[in-house]
Amino acid sequence: MGWLFAPAALLFVAFLAIPLAALAWRALNSGELSNNLTSSLVIDSLRLSAVTSTITLAIAIMVGTPLAYVLARYRFPGKAFVDLLIDLPIVLPPTVAGVALLVALGRRGIVGEYLDQWGLTIGFTTTAVVLAQLFVSAPFYIRTVKAGIEAVEPVYEGVAWTLGASPLRAFFRITLPLAWPSIVAGAILCWARALSELGATLIFAGNFEGRTQTMPLAIISAFDSGASIDVPIALSVILVLAAAVLLLLLRVVAGRARFAV
Amino acid sequence: MVLSVDFSLRKGDFLLQPKFEASDELTVLIGASGSGKSLTLKAIAGLLDPDAGRIVLPDGTAAFDGGSGAKLSPQQRGVGYVVQELALFPHLTVRQNIEFAIEHWLPPKRRDRVAQLVSLLGLSGLEGRRPSEISGGQRQRVALARALAAEPRLLLLDEPFSALDSSLRALLRRELAALRRRLDLTALLVTHDIGEAYALADRIVVLHDGRVVQSGTREEVFHRPSSLEVATLVEVRNFVPGEVVAQHDGAAVVRTAWFTAHVPGATYLPGDAVFLCVRPEQIIVLREGRTPHHATDTVVDVEIIDDMPGASVHRLTMRVAATEDAAEPFVFDVDVPTHPYEVLDIFARRNWQIALATERLFLVAR
Repeated sequence: MGWLFAPAALLFVAFLAIPLAALAWRALNSGELSNNLTSSLVIDSLRLSAVTSTITLAIAIMVGTPLAYVLARYRFPGKAFVDLLIDLPIVLPPTVAGVALLVALGRRGIVGEYLDQWGLTIGFTTTAVVLAQLFVSAPFYIRTVKAGIEAVEPVYEGVAWTLGASPLRAFFRITLPLAWPSIVAGAILCWARALSELGATLIFAGNFEGRTQTMPLAIISAFDSGASIDVPIALSVILVLAAAVLLLLLRVVAGRARFAV
Repeated sequence: MVLSVDFSLRKGDFLLQPKFEASDELTVLIGASGSGKSLTLKAIAGLLDPDAGRIVLPDGTAAFDGGSGAKLSPQQRGVGYVVQELALFPHLTVRQNIEFAIEHWLPPKRRDRVAQLVSLLGLSGLEGRRPSEISGGQRQRVALARALAAEPRLLLLDEPFSALDSSLRALLRRELAALRRRLDLTALLVTHDIGEAYALADRIVVLHDGRVVQSGTREEVFHRPSSLEVATLVEVRNFVPGEVVAQHDGAAVVRTAWFTAHVPGATYLPGDAVFLCVRPEQIIVLREGRTPHHATDTVVDVEIIDDMPGASVHRLTMRVAATEDAAEPFVFDVDVPTHPYEVLDIFARRNWQIALATERLFLVAR
């Protein structure tokens, strides 16, 4: 049956490959790639993207891991609601997330209004960038880690407790190492999503160079300015490479789920 | 040094109410699946809280007291718990698994303890391996070593041999029995394997539907089950419906539709409806022309209708013909070891006499 399906398959592979190849080809032949890569627009947005996505990931791990554990191990009233809440940002258009964040935490938002009175402004700051990324990307981490912890039979923890290990020690010595592949996978998914975040950031944080302009936003600015398409191309190439590296890492981690029980 | 268990715990529709004691010996908890055996161990280990009642550990401390609300955490109970799935930590080596409970000990003492357990359980050379790299029997021993490392006051074993093949199971059973005697430890083992219970138990506790229906020595439970449930569970297999018609000299005369028999014991009175019970391996096939040892033994004419040869015993199905009182024939299960089977030449003919020795018979209420 392969010969029957091959044309459709090839056509689609080509559809995915050609635009990326074109990007690479244009980047390499522009002659300006190294100049573009060192332009302040690119450097600033690259730095901002790296810093904000890393902070986002750190927060997602610190807050998301306990939440994932609770969701994996306990039943409580309202759990279905919490599950839904975590899934929503995955399916929502990010722009909706941006509007929601703005309405809640923006200067005139229902919470932001009070924060503003205490001199704490979030909207249109780097903090807003992190919050926008966190809102849309942390669910990927929580989902993945929750599934990973669920796959670790609770009996391991129970036995560890009878062997004298405190719940915290049992978590760090047993559950966490056994769920490690999904924690790394969740982190990679979360980071990749944070890195590519655009819609929520644009609405909630705005597009200010050096402050809220991450790489996806910089692409839009460079494109709109109409100066040259070479700058968006340079930015795109960096993002494609970063995404490819993260996906490769994900493969390696997934392939190394070695503590199959 | 007595473990005392008396609690109640509701889980969904199931009500678990075990009440028994276990002292310096190996007590085996048996029961059909769903009778609450594993839940009982879990509650003793502290991984499940009863709703009420008491659990007192062999050293006299109350692990759970529903009255005062006192409760020890699983960490504080000092109980070695080997679960059915073993749950060896797959990312740790054999040594790290064994050491898990004693990581806070000083290194020299810890090394000594691990060395001691490794030699006790025949694990030397495997210390650096991971659980996935050793055999099922070795994994079983590692689980035991890990549970014993911190010198528990009580050892709980939940179907520890169920994952092993039968020859290895027999070997490990012998090892466990020897080990327990050596360590002089109170141990509670759960199994649904009746042969295993018989091979290991000093005492047996029978659970049925969440309640203890009998507890006693192995002989009592296997040869004098207190009820039809227990008798069925310990594989008695022959239940002849009858009625007590007389009671004298400490024996009941039981009339069935097929024969009348004398059964020791004064528990049942004339008029009681009973099952007359006899284990399949306790029925004697009589050589032609022989009479039984005792005048009170019951002799019954039977016809062999099925003969299932096994490695060491023949499982015979023997029919007692229908009588005026009984429209149906009665069918006995009789196990005859291969050697007497051949000596008697049972295969040669279908019609035999069997003897039901009085001291091998017992009654349960019908």
